[in-house]
Amino acid sequence: MIRTLRELWVFFWRDLSIARTYRTVFVLEAVEALFGVAMFFYVARFVDSPQLSSSLPQGGSYFAFSLIGFVFLDYLNAAMDTFDQSLAEARDSGTLEHLLVTQTSLPVILAGSAIYPFVSTTFRIAVYLAWGALLFGFPLHDANWAAVAAVLLATLLAFSGLGILSASYVLLFKRGNPAKWFLLGVSSVAGGMLFPVSVLPDWLQLVAKLNPVTYALEAMRAALLGGAGLHAVLQPLLVLILFAAGLLPLSMAVFAWALRRTKTTGTMMHR
Amino acid sequence: MPEAAISVAALEKFFPPARTGLRALLQPFEKPSVVALAGLSFEVRPGEALALLGANGAGKSTLLRILATLLLPTSGRAQIAGHDAVLEPRAVRRQLGYHAGSDIGFYARLTGRENLRFFGSLNHLSKASAAQRIDLLVQQFHLEEALDRQVRTLSSGTVQRLSLARALLHEPRVLLLDEPTRSLDAIAASEFRRFLKSEVLRRGHTSLLFASHTLPEVEQLADRIAVIDAGRLLACDTLAALKRTTGTATLEGVFMSLTGPTPHVPLEDAPE
Repeated sequence: MIRTLRELWVFFWRDLSIARTYRTVFVLEAVEALFGVAMFFYVARFVDSPQLSSSLPQGGSYFAFSLIGFVFLDYLNAAMDTFDQSLAEARDSGTLEHLLVTQTSLPVILAGSAIYPFVSTTFRIAVYLAWGALLFGFPLHDANWAAVAAVLLATLLAFSGLGILSASYVLLFKRGNPAKWFLLGVSSVAGGMLFPVSVLPDWLQLVAKLNPVTYALEAMRAALLGGAGLHAVLQPLLVLILFAAGLLPLSMAVFAWALRRTKTTGTMMHR
Repeated sequence: MPEAAISVAALEKFFPPARTGLRALLQPFEKPSVVALAGLSFEVRPGEALALLGANGAGKSTLLRILATLLLPTSGRAQIAGHDAVLEPRAVRRQLGYHAGSDIGFYARLTGRENLRFFGSLNHLSKASAAQRIDLLVQQFHLEEALDRQVRTLSSGTVQRLSLARALLHEPRVLLLDEPTRSLDAIAASEFRRFLKSEVLRRGHTSLLFASHTLPEVEQLADRIAVIDAGRLLACDTLAALKRTTGTATLEGVFMSLTGPTPHVPLEDAPE
């Protein structure tokens, strides 16, 4: 256990050390976040009306509603992209086979490579929310941070399974991320990212009910805007945990199979 | 009789045929039919250096990658220090160092030391023992000046030495080198071979299996030579014995005599 934690830590340390050599990126990302938040603020100001506010689940402004949808999309992107991008980078830089001849197991290599991207995405989200709160009145005063953390963790676990499936696809077919395209495509319409699910026609609401993104966003908004505690977000949390419990072992098994397949066909290092 | 450092028995490897266009999507699932290794058998003794000599496409890299647990054989057995490469891959990886002979494979924006520490940790070296091993290898491999520079600023030759240091970091019993001087110019290649001979082989703790199609490299480093052609082992013996058996005076003569006129890319006869 201690050895595994140490291995995970060295992956985080590796990525942090590499990121430190691109210092200006941190500043540029903070500036980009400011422009992103400003854009949502002014779009919201343009479309906001008492009627719109009353149709939002927690009430309040469309700015708060849409900003959460947007930053959550960033998180979803990280969960879906991290694994296949780490794999493709390792393959392209020639480090993949050197990682695979070490004594560290593949699940640890995969999990380790995902830690820094998740941490940095969390910081990026924090920067977005901080800009929103400091300059544009985003309401953080009611947030229940314990529930927010629990929802983020459950979301990461739930969607990491899809990310690992994408990595398996990249291992076999070298390019593309169909799970991400599908999920983000569906979620942009039937996930409650930029508008509430309640405005959708019945059949799309049914799709939204089957989409775990809907539950994650619902719980996140309830915890962040409505101050809902762990007990109040238990139902969507359970859906996410069930999704993770089913998908993570399945995705690891698929990845192991894909790796075995590439070891048989000799295509692991092909681009 | 001590246990063989490397043991290969009736090893076969077939690949699926290469495909392009839409049929490439089915390639991972196609039946392997292209022969890469056709029943290889040989052993490498503890402390011995064995060269795999063959033209491009002879099967040298495929063999090394099976031993490094990066490829699965179609049939047969490959063992390192008594551990089966298919059944006990982690035990095999504990015993081997692998150097692919290219100047990539490092994190270019990390320093040499940071890269070595990282790979040392993944090979379960403690912080203290990794630091100790890095200090020792840096001295042996004359990497003092390169160690704290980003890898992207280092020359190919230096990166090659760094790669060899990485392969030896966890004190493996077996070292696998795949065309170790492939990306070096003639002078750097010659230096690298001298260095390999004096700093790794002279100490005698490590068995070496290396693939090459550079004749001087094979002559300079190998105790025995395995000549491979189209996945088949044609001969495996000392240079003197091979010359005697084939009635030729040079390694090139031995190779030509064993393989005949070859359609493959000709062997490289790099000047020393």
